[in-house]
Amino acid sequence: MLVAAGLNLLIKKRDMAKENYRKERIDRCIKARSDDIYAISSKNEILYLLFPRVIPIAALGIIALISPLYWQKVIISACIFAMLAVSWDFLSSCGMLSLGQALFFGIGSYIAGILNHYLNLPFYITIPVATISGGLLSTILLLPVVRLRGIYFAMVTLILPLMLMRGIEATRIFGGNEGITGLSPFPNIWVELIIIITAMWVTLFALRRFISSDYGLIFVSIRDNDRATMASGINIYAFKAQALFIGSCICAFCGAFMTHSYMFTGIPVFTMEFSILPIAASAIGGIGSLAGPLLGAFVLVPLSEILREFGTLRVVFYGLVLVICVVALPEGIFHYLSRKYNEMERWVKIE
Amino acid sequence: MLKVENLMVFYENALAINELSIHVEEGEIVGIIGSNSAGKTTLVNTLSGLLLDTQLKEKRKGGERITIFGRITFLGKDITNLWADERVKMGIVLSRERHPVFVESDVEENLKIAAYITTKKEMKENIAFVYKVFPSLVPLRKRKAGFLSGGEQQMLAIGMSLMAKPRLLLLDEPLLGLSPTIQVKLIESIVQIRKDANVTILICEQFARPVLPIIDKGYVLENGMLTLEGTGKELYNNPEIKAAYFGV
Repeated sequence: MLVAAGLNLLIKKRDMAKENYRKERIDRCIKARSDDIYAISSKNEILYLLFPRVIPIAALGIIALISPLYWQKVIISACIFAMLAVSWDFLSSCGMLSLGQALFFGIGSYIAGILNHYLNLPFYITIPVATISGGLLSTILLLPVVRLRGIYFAMVTLILPLMLMRGIEATRIFGGNEGITGLSPFPNIWVELIIIITAMWVTLFALRRFISSDYGLIFVSIRDNDRATMASGINIYAFKAQALFIGSCICAFCGAFMTHSYMFTGIPVFTMEFSILPIAASAIGGIGSLAGPLLGAFVLVPLSEILREFGTLRVVFYGLVLVICVVALPEGIFHYLSRKYNEMERWVKIE
Repeated sequence: MLKVENLMVFYENALAINELSIHVEEGEIVGIIGSNSAGKTTLVNTLSGLLLDTQLKEKRKGGERITIFGRITFLGKDITNLWADERVKMGIVLSRERHPVFVESDVEENLKIAAYITTKKEMKENIAFVYKVFPSLVPLRKRKAGFLSGGEQQMLAIGMSLMAKPRLLLLDEPLLGLSPTIQVKLIESIVQIRKDANVTILICEQFARPVLPIIDKGYVLENGMLTLEGTGKELYNNPEIKAAYFGV
């Protein structure tokens, strides 16, 4: 009876929608008043703004505190992939489609490994040095190709890590095939967790702020229309190089961190996984928002761990989830959630 | 022939077309006159069914929500929910604004691509007809469409829409960006198309002066609302139209 009544109501509602009602979208008042710069005027509005920012930070902190050691390691790996994905998204919003996060990652990793192994420097020196010099080195390597656009740039970035990988294998420098083992670890898991989680949030919020500043606007404009940007008297190659430096620094930091976390560096740091997973994470999380890729990485990495018990079938299920996500939510999880959070919907009558 | 009743189109919360009712009789040339943002392009996109496609794409992307109300009837059949390709088969063909042509193909190839839904024999006849209407395309037959001038591209675009054997030809801003001499030439060609091919034509245009003398009936849109309607002559002599569109 109740089901029938409910069904009836549903049909009626659909009929209404068909005849002369339409669904109206309204921005919540604080968003309607100002799209970007918020004019806060009450406690509710502060809460409204803080909620989506504080809750994820707190949730991740609590989960990291109470998880067993194995899942803490998973969180670390998720954070690393999240940073790679954020850096990929940053580069793509500057008009550089990169297929080679592994290049930046691997260079950072090798620099940290070499400094630690040959010069016995502690992690708090190797990581910052590897971050900056890894970023510089990657930028110099890719400097000749910043003039390329789209798929051509992507091809070069795809090839370079594979070249370095085979180069190290063939010349047997830096341990060759076996890599460098027995590097100095972090004092304990807590130091590790604090460093990577802090670095991740700082990266995310700093980049989000950066890209909406006047300076970041130039990067977005280069993606939208590089010729118009050139015509405005801006040297786009200089700006592209700067964006490349920022993006590769983030990846190099991840590489250096992972070297100390696993106490190992070797040719596996140049594998395709480090290039492809950030892109998959961006695709399901929502490209162009920086927070989306981070969310995507936190979906994909734990998912891949959970699916481990399926053995070989893991890749099949993993692929299936990816396909479902992309087909059902082509805009990305983050865009969908933020739309639901920022807008109200209601049926209005057409007069 | 074509009847539009109480058409309303919303882009999200913005009203693009408001309670618009028009009708087009067989063999007429009907003009839709309006300045920028009057809703002309939205109207022809709705009539040709392209808006349904945009609506679906936006919905899947989670972008703008497009809502369409009202009824469109063509030859006594309700076509409100018919897709663009079905409408082309029924005879509603749109020549979109800013003369979209396949820039990498030459003129004749462009015409052949557009003739996909007709038979080979019809295609030959239609190509001959297009060359008859636009003689200036003949020497350019083997030239890449991307190297044509704006006026020539516009002729080619209209020619392409003629290849699909239209019964109702929708022209969206055919005079946009053309010099006055080419505008006059094009208008003459449009009259000739109506005469020779027996096609009903609906022109959306903001340059009212060259269009008004040739139309049988005209509608004036302003911000999506119908403000005036009448025969071409009536509109031509209307002081408001003169002030707003002739710049006198």
